[in-house]
Amino acid sequence: MAYSTSGIAGLAFAALTAVFLPVLVGSQWVLIFTSTACFALAAAGIGLMYARLNMVSLTQVGLMGVGGWVTLRMNHGLGLPFEFNLLAAGVVTAAFGMLLALPALRMRGLYLALITLMSAGGIEIVLSTFRFPNGGEGFWGVMPSVAAPFRRPVLAIEDGAYLRYAIVVSTLGMLLIELHRRGAPGRAWAMIRRSEAAAMASGVNVTLYKAWAFALSGLLAGLAGGLLAGSIGLLDAATFRAPESIMLFALAVVGGAGSWPGAVIAAILYRVLPALFNDWGLNPDLALVIFGAALLHAIMTAPEGIAGQIRAALPRWAK
Amino acid sequence: MKRLLVLGLAVLGAATLSGTAAAQDKPRCGAGNGTAATGAPIKVGGIFGNAAPGDFSSATDAAKAFFDCVNASGGIHGRPVQYMIENDQWNPELAGQAASKLVRDEGVVAMVGNASFVEMSVNAPLYARENIMAMASGCAVSECFESSSIVSTNQGPLASSVGAAIYAVEELGAKNISCIGLAIPSVGNWSCGAVEEYMASKGLAGSSVLLNPAAPDVNSGLLEAIASGADTMLVNLPAGLAIAVLGSAKEQDIRDTYKWISSTPLYDRSVPGALGEYWDGAMFVNAELTPFDGTGPDNVHWLSVMDAYAKAEDPRDTFSQAGYLSAKFFTQMLEAMDPGDIDVRAKVTAAIKAIAGYRSDLICGPYYVGEVDRHMPNHAGTMVKVSGAGFEVVRECYEYEGPYFAPLIEAEKKFGLR
Repeated sequence: MAYSTSGIAGLAFAALTAVFLPVLVGSQWVLIFTSTACFALAAAGIGLMYARLNMVSLTQVGLMGVGGWVTLRMNHGLGLPFEFNLLAAGVVTAAFGMLLALPALRMRGLYLALITLMSAGGIEIVLSTFRFPNGGEGFWGVMPSVAAPFRRPVLAIEDGAYLRYAIVVSTLGMLLIELHRRGAPGRAWAMIRRSEAAAMASGVNVTLYKAWAFALSGLLAGLAGGLLAGSIGLLDAATFRAPESIMLFALAVVGGAGSWPGAVIAAILYRVLPALFNDWGLNPDLALVIFGAALLHAIMTAPEGIAGQIRAALPRWAK
Repeated sequence: MKRLLVLGLAVLGAATLSGTAAAQDKPRCGAGNGTAATGAPIKVGGIFGNAAPGDFSSATDAAKAFFDCVNASGGIHGRPVQYMIENDQWNPELAGQAASKLVRDEGVVAMVGNASFVEMSVNAPLYARENIMAMASGCAVSECFESSSIVSTNQGPLASSVGAAIYAVEELGAKNISCIGLAIPSVGNWSCGAVEEYMASKGLAGSSVLLNPAAPDVNSGLLEAIASGADTMLVNLPAGLAIAVLGSAKEQDIRDTYKWISSTPLYDRSVPGALGEYWDGAMFVNAELTPFDGTGPDNVHWLSVMDAYAKAEDPRDTFSQAGYLSAKFFTQMLEAMDPGDIDVRAKVTAAIKAIAGYRSDLICGPYYVGEVDRHMPNHAGTMVKVSGAGFEVVRECYEYEGPYFAPLIEAEKKFGLR
């Protein structure tokens, strides 16, 4: 596999943040950056769908909720290590994403976006009604008392180590996208993006590869939700409301869909900016105004988002 | 010249007198010497929730007002309290981050005045791990009362609902109560479930109607409660939703068909006006703390501290009373400690856990903490009814009973409080 400058920069960025962030920032910011790493992984899934297949998925944060639910249920129901629970969350959410893809495969553009948004609304209602498992009995595993302890990975019990763990998993998730982009799925997605009819005529199984993209995006959302569950040990439906999926999609566009810096920028805008405002004594909702302006800017002048603008400003050797 | 001198002296004298009078008007808090506290601050944290579905900031507003008053009155052992407040915006992630900031980064010795639906559920394990106590004021979920590291001055929905049910059974002759709550396991299911247990313990009937918090349909909820065959409706909802349920009952004109009782959220100054004349004298509400117009020394002092140190727009409600009381008890506890120990979290935690038998006219029973895995020191209340533009007390302090309170009463016997 050939190494691109962007890829090397991405790995270096991940290594530097994993080594230095937990040491340089306080406990509060360790949690904020852990959350940022989780949402960067989810935003990468949105970018995959949008940049490779021109499909708008407005259910990504809802799918994170599904992944978080599975992780918590596995944690409280079985004595398996965190890695198994996380993997199960990814696989179940990938299957959920693929299931979601089946009715959506005949839709395009606005209609596809509406279908995914309706799914996000459905997930929100289910999670609000039945809540997240906290160690109770039965299928839903909810009890009206203090949540049972959450088992983090053996190597990442402390918050700082868990931030490093989240960065590593997010990096692996983005490498998985890159692996797909360079393989047969990437070529099929490129063809489908140009013309479904042409792709079909060339022998590309459009249904399979579209569903594959949904599954991969779901897998990343599931892993992100599982990581988020491990960060605080319990989850609340308020984190996974349908409007949050719209917000993350908008920020993925602002950051720049289809590249790792875009996903990271989207997650920083989504989680770090409101926290900074909060720290400065400003209303964190002020970030929403900035997001709106940034989205307008991206739509009008920066189709590749902030990441694209940064790339354009770099010297040729660095691109 | 002489007249001018006399006039000048008179003006100076009047100014001095009025200044002294103003200083005397301000309430004193704590055992300080009356001069503003100086020196290294004692760091104390507080977390509240303010976003939809409600604003619980009145608890931390009142605690802040009390600590400002303590600082102006001489501080604790001469040192000021630095009270740091964070808003969790009902978001578990933000709640966790806020607690990390206060407990780990800032190194606060205790949390005081916490009021949230979310914060306690998320942070109870952290508080236990870091050996820090939260003297909360606005607990609304079961996790808050069933943690070894959290103790609250308010009662929460369970105690308040059972209190209202006891009144309905003993005074209104209720035989079958339907509890209308929110379908949140640690809120509605928990508190309405306790009402059912209380009714069963008396050989009476009880049922729960739980509304989806994401899309509460008050009409269907009310119809479901009617279908249960209940003779008494217990409205155990946030004030806005409770008013909507009562609005629906008014439209169906079923006020006189049932007895109507409610947990504390309806005990708010704005509620009688919002309900209108239709409910005058027909709506009975449980109050977790002393009525707002109580004449006890702490209630009067709470209002004067709020007037002197809080903003005019800060609510003077039940959570405000509870926030004031948590801050007052915390101050009382620190003043009794060795001055050299008040920066050591472990010693402050031990001192908080050793609290037993603090009293105030704001609550009916003694306040205590203890080394136990659940805390609910305030489980006796007052019953009021909507009367004109306000409320009228219909039953003074009475203690709640039922299966949930049995372990608490046992613990109180061990502490020598009974």
